[in-house]
Amino acid sequence: MSQSVISVDRVTKRFSGHTAVKELSLDVPQGAVFGLLGPNGAGKTTTIRMIMDIIRPDEGRVTLFGGAGTGRDLSARIGFLPEERGLYPKMQVLGQLAFLAEIKGLSHKDAMRSGGEWLERLGLGEWAEKKIEDLSKGMQQKVQFIGTLMHDPDLVILDEPFSGLDPVNTKVMKDVVVDFARRGKTVVFSTHIMEQAERMCDHIVIIARGEKVVDGQLADIKSNYGKSHLALEFVSNREQAAPILQDPKLFLSVDDYGVSAEGEMAPGVDGDTVLRALVNAGVGLSRFEVVEPSLQKIFIAEVGDSAGTAAREPGDA
Amino acid sequence: MHKLWAVIRREFGARVRTKSFVVTTALGPLLMAGLMLAPALMSMKESSGRHIVIVDGGDRGLGQTAQTTLRTKFPEQYTLEVVVLPTGETERLESLISQIDTPSEGTSATIDGVVVLDPAMLADDRIAYYGSNVSSMSDMSDLRRGLREALMAERLTELGVNLTLVQEASRPLSLTTERVTDGKLTGESGEASFVLGYAMAFLLYMALLLYGVQVMSAVVEEKTNRLNEVLVSSLSPFELLFGKIIGVGSAALVQLGLWVGTAMVLTTFRAEIASVFGVPEAAVMAVPIPTVSPELLIVSLLFFTLGFLLYSSAYAAVGAMCNTMQETQQASLPVTLMVIVGFFTVFNVLGDPTGSMARTFSLIPMFAPLIVPVRYSLNPLGLGELVASALITLLGAIVVAWIAGRIYRVGILAHGKRPKIKELINWVRAG
Repeated sequence: MSQSVISVDRVTKRFSGHTAVKELSLDVPQGAVFGLLGPNGAGKTTTIRMIMDIIRPDEGRVTLFGGAGTGRDLSARIGFLPEERGLYPKMQVLGQLAFLAEIKGLSHKDAMRSGGEWLERLGLGEWAEKKIEDLSKGMQQKVQFIGTLMHDPDLVILDEPFSGLDPVNTKVMKDVVVDFARRGKTVVFSTHIMEQAERMCDHIVIIARGEKVVDGQLADIKSNYGKSHLALEFVSNREQAAPILQDPKLFLSVDDYGVSAEGEMAPGVDGDTVLRALVNAGVGLSRFEVVEPSLQKIFIAEVGDSAGTAAREPGDA
Repeated sequence: MHKLWAVIRREFGARVRTKSFVVTTALGPLLMAGLMLAPALMSMKESSGRHIVIVDGGDRGLGQTAQTTLRTKFPEQYTLEVVVLPTGETERLESLISQIDTPSEGTSATIDGVVVLDPAMLADDRIAYYGSNVSSMSDMSDLRRGLREALMAERLTELGVNLTLVQEASRPLSLTTERVTDGKLTGESGEASFVLGYAMAFLLYMALLLYGVQVMSAVVEEKTNRLNEVLVSSLSPFELLFGKIIGVGSAALVQLGLWVGTAMVLTTFRAEIASVFGVPEAAVMAVPIPTVSPELLIVSLLFFTLGFLLYSSAYAAVGAMCNTMQETQQASLPVTLMVIVGFFTVFNVLGDPTGSMARTFSLIPMFAPLIVPVRYSLNPLGLGELVASALITLLGAIVVAWIAGRIYRVGILAHGKRPKIKELINWVRAG
């Protein structure tokens, strides 16, 4: 395995009475697209803040790029988009970007040039001289995103990068992140939206109640769950399927989405048996596929429903 | 250093580019010019002359004496007219009074007031005055003085005293004051030193409050706009705090520099400026304007810088504790009170610049930034005392800045309820 860009070694962080992160260890390999997943309040933001040295762990250690420097020391090599993010409303767009790059070590000239190029790239070229407060929310998010990436960092850490974005902006930013990863840079992002993580990450860690529950390559994790999952989509007589899906002899668990369903088959049951039962019952199918479990399914299986009510992290807005 | 510089430049630009900065910077010199010209302009207006009728009810020529006295004392302010009117002719008196402030035919000008010298009232040491200008303090005092003198002359003559002798003996005396500094004449009047001391205190007081609060609002602004995490991942809280203090402080110095500069230009060329507005040169030159020595400028600059470091970091700490500007209004009260206490002590110091209160307050870091420059403007401190005061203030400023920095470090990332004193102590002590 290549060198770890981030190495978190048994870190614990307590906030007045409750433990936000408990003996958490994780390694982010060079060049990975790494997903830090977990329900709200699981400790994702606290973990990221400790990685960035914004707060100090009570126990344990964080190592970046294999050396002794903290997130702030190495800010020239790191692009960080915190969960709590904002801009100076009265500043001009380009001036704001230049400032964000200068505090990461770029010269004023390079910062202005890079800011201008990025604005053009994301279609905001005409807005360079406008004040931030005159921009729409979507544009402000793009500016924020540029501010994170414009100094061409080796490591990008994004805390809930896509929250509150419309599909068009989500795609724009996803493309930028994918491009970064393709150029051999390391991307870490946290999310509680599993579909996104599933499409983008090659490596994931799931944490719940401050503790790690899953860690590894996404492909490995899925294959460990085995090909015992069925993905179904219905076209007609949907209600006839219900008794079959609820039959404990056939399924261990089912996620029913109405027009589609995903289920884990009971041991010893094969796809044919289920298909025959569905066809005999007169259910019209547009999809019947034996698949690896979705990340969503794994997440719910590992985290359970109780985690959703975990205590909020301080600073979670 | 590169990062600190980026923060300083941003803060400086953010202050200087605002409309309010441009407006206040421009208004300062206008206000100064106004203060310089207004007294002269006002005295010009007053000399337009008031028309006063002296009604003499007696037969001893007291009305004439009063007219002569008033005319000699105030040659320009009043147009005087004597009407001899035996007591009892109330109708004519009433018609005279009815003419006050109402332009009427036949008479050349409006009457502003009527003085009634009635023998019966004079026996009681009373004189009546009816007029439209009774609320004018200066007019009333002029009249009182003129009439008393006329009456005194009248009574002395009656007693057989030689009036010329009396006038000779009671020639007025004028006390000219000049400030002596280090045994040298400064050529500056007592009035001018007071003006200088007061102006210094006011300017420093305003500057400390105004710019201190600007640092505070800059801190709160970053909190409400959720910028701190973005910033703190690249900047240390200390770079952020001191970048802010230096940035706002430089903007303050630019503004104060422009003000002091224009004040100097205005006072140097005040005669020329006065002539543009048609104000007689002599009237403007009569307004006491002190000279500012380079040493005083250096001392003021030094103590303003120290005071600004102390107060702006205290204000920054308050800002870091709060989430909104509304919250800061209450939370900043203790800091603001310190500045106000310092300012009110100045009045005592102006009266007694070398007294024990002045000396004691010069050694308290919170007050020295206001007290020392004022004292220096009145009566320069000895070098020993000056250095001691500067060192203690510097030490105090460093301690306050250190504590404020530690509160700031935790506070900018904290949201929700404002911390209690106990929590604040934990913030300061936290590793």
